[in-house]
Amino acid sequence: MTIDIQRVLIPTIIVQQGMSVRDVFTECGKLHIHALPYSDKKGIICGRVTLKNIMKFSCLPEHMIELAHLLGNQMSCIENAEEKAREIICNPIEPYVRKLSETITSTEPLIKALAIMERNETSYIFVVDDGKYKGQITIQGIAQVMSNLENRCTS
Amino acid sequence: MNNHASTVIFGWDPLWVSSIIFIITYAVIVTEKINRSIVALLGAGLMISLGILNQQTAINGIDFNTLGLLTGMMVIVAIARRSGVFQYIAVWSAKKVEARPWGILLMLSIVTALFSALLDNVTTVLLIAPVTLLITGELKVHPYPFLFAEIFASNIGGTATLIGDPPNIMIGSAVNLTFNDFLINLAPITLLIFPITLFIIYLIWGRHMHASDEARERIMQFNEKQAITDVPLLKKSLLVISLVIVSFLFAHPLGLEPATIAMTGAALLLLLSTLNDDAEEQSENVHKSFAEVEWITIFFFVGLFIIVHGIEHAGLLDILANKVLSLTGGDLTLTAMAIIWASAVFSAIVDNIPFVATMIPIIKSMAPTFGGAEQLMPLWWSLALGACLGGNGSLVGASANLIVAGFAERSGYRIHFLEFMLIAFPLMLVSILIASLYVYLRYL
Repeated sequence: MTIDIQRVLIPTIIVQQGMSVRDVFTECGKLHIHALPYSDKKGIICGRVTLKNIMKFSCLPEHMIELAHLLGNQMSCIENAEEKAREIICNPIEPYVRKLSETITSTEPLIKALAIMERNETSYIFVVDDGKYKGQITIQGIAQVMSNLENRCTS
Repeated sequence: MNNHASTVIFGWDPLWVSSIIFIITYAVIVTEKINRSIVALLGAGLMISLGILNQQTAINGIDFNTLGLLTGMMVIVAIARRSGVFQYIAVWSAKKVEARPWGILLMLSIVTALFSALLDNVTTVLLIAPVTLLITGELKVHPYPFLFAEIFASNIGGTATLIGDPPNIMIGSAVNLTFNDFLINLAPITLLIFPITLFIIYLIWGRHMHASDEARERIMQFNEKQAITDVPLLKKSLLVISLVIVSFLFAHPLGLEPATIAMTGAALLLLLSTLNDDAEEQSENVHKSFAEVEWITIFFFVGLFIIVHGIEHAGLLDILANKVLSLTGGDLTLTAMAIIWASAVFSAIVDNIPFVATMIPIIKSMAPTFGGAEQLMPLWWSLALGACLGGNGSLVGASANLIVAGFAERSGYRIHFLEFMLIAFPLMLVSILIASLYVYLRYL
């Protein structure tokens, strides 16, 4: 039996204009995924939102990334963290939308999806058939399916 | 006038063709709409394709000493910065003044000036700006005066040595000036300009700076040792940087060109930093170090050297030199003053690298008027001072300024062009006034 894309496909919502960071966090948290596709007013997939990108641009000024090893427990930026988090999740999603990365169709081999993910240094890829979003494949999803295979390990 | 007229396509006048290429290239560079390395290489390509220069002549126009020195130093700094040494010193210096805002501004400016003189000013601000933003964020003081002071410190510090700023590298290479020549002739005046600049910054912002005890305590809690990420690399980097600087100091008796020293230093540090790596890791690390070289700048230089060589061969620079001399009446003092002030204003408005690349052959061609190449020294120092210090005049005046502004913006602090220029330009003029007096009193 082969492992094809259909078997590891995770259907998700498509982020649309007017949605907030909270909507994205909720969906990603529920499905254990890192990114969602974004569609324009006509419903065409035209971008993506990733948790990493939202975190980076809402919580992390560049100098903190540069000096990550110097950050300690006494910093003023960690005061009122919960209040800041509340502000961030209410933000509209638009400023965080990034360019759409490579997609794959549901009939293509899974190994191709893995190869594209590796080349693009991501852990997910969107599956799009004839312009219609079907869901996404994640490394974790593939690993989970593989871990559920019949155990033939000798040791 | 030139040996290449017959080769120019359609028998066009090489002077006109090369002048048009030169003007269009520089105009497009100024607009910053297209990456400057692309523009310069296209201009260079046209100089060859249209027959102003043949390929061999074009290659002869490239100053490999400048390229070697720049590339070598970039590789050394790329490796050394991974050890965290620069951030260590920045945090350590902030704690040394017990986290008083003005003290921190002073210390970070001194560190910036020192590193800019001994390494290069772009890398220096790239390393100091994050520390500044972190510290000012914790102190709850506005980072603008700190970043402003660091921009000035980087350009003033860079003026002091051969390797501090690209214009000095170009002038040093073109006129065979040593590290010591720059140290003896330019460092003294930067030591005067720097404290005066800081004093003015103090009057504008420094005296109003305050931070709470609690905020200062947060800075004192920083552990600068955590900035050091690789102790063995730190030791190797310090060893090689020291060797390189000592070699610069003794370059003349050793008979070594600056490019040889920088490239050998880079190779040595590459070797030391990958000594215990297997073949694959070694290739990866060498690749990583080479990738951090600012190839845009290097290829920009390649293109510029060819373009300037093209107009030089076509005779345009002789015409320009004669114009300058007719305007100053062949008077050395007037010519030196014209160069220092024009360089400063031009460098504040546009990139100083193309300006200096054009001025070098112009000044060289003035040698017969002033009684030989030795008599031109006041003009070279005027060009170096004007071009390097002029970079402080606006946000686009030097690469270091743009680096700081870009980094600040990505961290949420926007430095506005006009707001910066309103104080920076007059302050730059003060430094040029001091530099002009220095050139006049010492050399004229």
